[in-house]
Amino acid sequence: MRLKSQLRFHARPLALAAAVAAALAGLLLALAPKPLPGGVALAAVPFYRLPFGPDDQGRDRPFWPSRLQAAGLPFVDPARLPSSADCAACHPREFEEWAGSLHAVADRDLVYEATVEANEDIVRNPEQTRFCEGCHAPSEMLAGRVTRFVAVPPADALTEGVACIGCHTATHADPEAGNGALTLAYGRAVADRDGPAGAALLADPRAHLAAYGAPDTTALMKGAEVCGACHTEIYDASNSRARGPQVVQSTFAEWRESWYGRNGITCQHCHMAADPAAQVLALRRGDLTPPARLSHRFIGANHVMADTRLGAALTVLRGGLLPGTDAAATGATLAVQGRQTADFLRTAAGLELRALRPTADGLHLEIAVRNLGAGHNLPTGVNDQKHIWLEVVVADAGGAVLFRSGGAAERLGVEDAEAVAWIEHFLDGAGERITNHLTFATAAVVWMRDPIPPRGEDVVAYEVPLAAGAARPLRLTARLYYRIALPDLVFANLRRDLPVAPFTLAELAAELPETLP
Amino acid sequence: MHRILLPALAGLLAGTLPLAAETESEGLAAIKAFTLEHNAALVTEAKRLRDLVGAYAATIAAHGNDYAAAWAAEGATLADGVRGIRAQWLVASNHYETIEGIVAGIPATARYDLILDAGNPGTEAEDVADYDLALPDGTVLERPGSLFHTITEPLFWGSDPGHAKLAADLDGDGQVGAGEMLFDANLALGATAGLVFWSEALMADMQAWEPNRDDAFTAVVTMTPTVGDYFGEWKESQFLGGAGAAFVAQSRLVDVLAIMGGCQRMYAAAVSPVVAAGDAALDAAITGAFADLLALVAETRDREVQGERFTAEEADALGAEAQDIAERVVAQVLQAAARHGVEIRG
Repeated sequence: MRLKSQLRFHARPLALAAAVAAALAGLLLALAPKPLPGGVALAAVPFYRLPFGPDDQGRDRPFWPSRLQAAGLPFVDPARLPSSADCAACHPREFEEWAGSLHAVADRDLVYEATVEANEDIVRNPEQTRFCEGCHAPSEMLAGRVTRFVAVPPADALTEGVACIGCHTATHADPEAGNGALTLAYGRAVADRDGPAGAALLADPRAHLAAYGAPDTTALMKGAEVCGACHTEIYDASNSRARGPQVVQSTFAEWRESWYGRNGITCQHCHMAADPAAQVLALRRGDLTPPARLSHRFIGANHVMADTRLGAALTVLRGGLLPGTDAAATGATLAVQGRQTADFLRTAAGLELRALRPTADGLHLEIAVRNLGAGHNLPTGVNDQKHIWLEVVVADAGGAVLFRSGGAAERLGVEDAEAVAWIEHFLDGAGERITNHLTFATAAVVWMRDPIPPRGEDVVAYEVPLAAGAARPLRLTARLYYRIALPDLVFANLRRDLPVAPFTLAELAAELPETLP
Repeated sequence: MHRILLPALAGLLAGTLPLAAETESEGLAAIKAFTLEHNAALVTEAKRLRDLVGAYAATIAAHGNDYAAAWAAEGATLADGVRGIRAQWLVASNHYETIEGIVAGIPATARYDLILDAGNPGTEAEDVADYDLALPDGTVLERPGSLFHTITEPLFWGSDPGHAKLAADLDGDGQVGAGEMLFDANLALGATAGLVFWSEALMADMQAWEPNRDDAFTAVVTMTPTVGDYFGEWKESQFLGGAGAAFVAQSRLVDVLAIMGGCQRMYAAAVSPVVAAGDAALDAAITGAFADLLALVAETRDREVQGERFTAEEADALGAEAQDIAERVVAQVLQAAARHGVEIRG
């Protein structure tokens, strides 16, 4: 009864307050800045060619054979597109991290550039390189510059590969389709240029949040799907000489089917951890705590593009200095990038002597190659280039080598056909192997040995012939090597005899017992 | 000061300074006249080259095509002959480079650029030098690549060991260094005769060419963006890379200057009157960007002539800067082309 009377007493002011609150909310909603279209129509880009025709519904496909999409009008005015260097004014830490990453040089990396040119040379329409540029240069694509006659002038923002705006305006991703199946709302970034800046932005960040913190983007960036849109690559007749789908990169699917995918450990958890190696080691111990802070280094497996021992050659390989950086800042961030990459790679794999027994001719031994820390296959990615192989050496007590598999020749860059290697072969229409990543000439993709799934292993057996009287004890050493690219690729596409040093992922050394079981 | 001097230097190196025309038709006519003048010089110099090679081949033939015997008997004559052939090759080649930006950019004559200077021997899907070369001994080489850069340059400078017949101390210093050899006279005779034939064929087609707006725009937008490729070749050449690098007889910067000079000339004479009539500011911007581009190349060449050795890193940075300017030029020219309904025929 008392409650009822109190309610009656407060009913009017409560109703008034509710009405005022509703009116204020409505006013705020009405005043809140809406993302402007900020786009450029297809017809407004002179001489932009569509050599691959419309889709099944008759719609233009300005970015085909990439699956990249624009939200709204297809193109943007590059002069109004913010460069990552602009973002650095308020986000210096993120910019400094990103500047050392592979994402930052995705469209500048000299090996990539030369490989695109080599592919372009074997097709009639240069627009076919949209397949590559959709992931490597989304800003060039959305500016309308990937075409035979380029009527759109260059701009800093277009030279940055996978830049801030490439992820922070993403509204949709299709990691099953891959091949760049991202939808980017660059219009939001353009519209934000008209919003407040500096202190005014801090006082009223709504426009900035509308541009880069929209709910669809925020939700997308928490998951692996946004990564999968580009880290899934499927060749078919639209982009190669394959008659049916040829899965070239399946990193997203490998992750999704794995223990990591089932436990909600996303790409970001490892590749964007502030200390990626420590994060992986924690996961290996069963600690699933996500990283407290996400870094923008996107630490991965390309140790060469962060190897500061290359000196000035590294700057050349990375396509020069990024807008907003200088040599000192670049060197400093690359030093961290290189160290983190090396540490990260060392968490991926392990070797274990699984079986050892005498045979009539010598020894039978089995070595388990274990995927201990990668949330996807080992190796993964572009595996006609990125590959691993096992080197096994048995020596006598004096150090004389009695048996070797996958030896020094491999380390020097000459492929050893006898080595146990995990590598894809690209084959042309005649079944001949292509070693320089000519996507547009590839008809089939074949794994020489199946890659090792997350938390899985591949046991490799060796029959080691031994002459009678070999000085005991015998010593076994095994090394799992990783190489980022075949020397053939560098030589054929870059016309450089540049050594591509292998990286030792894991090592095993054991003194074999005098008396074998 | 550099802003004034360097474009002038660039223009001089390219042949003559670019001259703006009063009207489009005057400009087109001037372009054709300029191209024909250098084409005629190319024919003359190619004939001289053929004659020098003829004398060299006659010396070899006088000794039963025994290169060792010919060298033993007439070494000094042959060494002089090789030096003269190399010098004459540069003269002929530079006349072509001066008009390459125009020849290659005009659809009706573009095939001659592939045959004479820029085509490949079928190693790529496009830009193949599509002709066969008959040699005096009856051999016919099918699609052998461009006459200047695929065949004769490596032949005369000994960077193609397959056609070096005898290692020979051409400079008389007691050692046989890189490129000191007697080359295959049969191939040289065929290739230099080919140079004469195709230079004359180009002349005939160039005389028949009716200058028009579409071709002028096409030439500018197709050739200007090649500047980065030439910087890339420069970087890969022995002018930067040392003994292990690709051999070219003269710095690629000379080629860049000539070709970009041709593009600038085409713009100033034939395209600028069209652009300026609709948008004077755009024309001024393009004209200024061309001047900047030529100045950058000229300044770089000047530094090289002064003895400066560039690192690959510096070459990349310079090439990127040049390419950036070139792409801005082309974007602006294409925007003007769209406004004027020009058809670009690449």
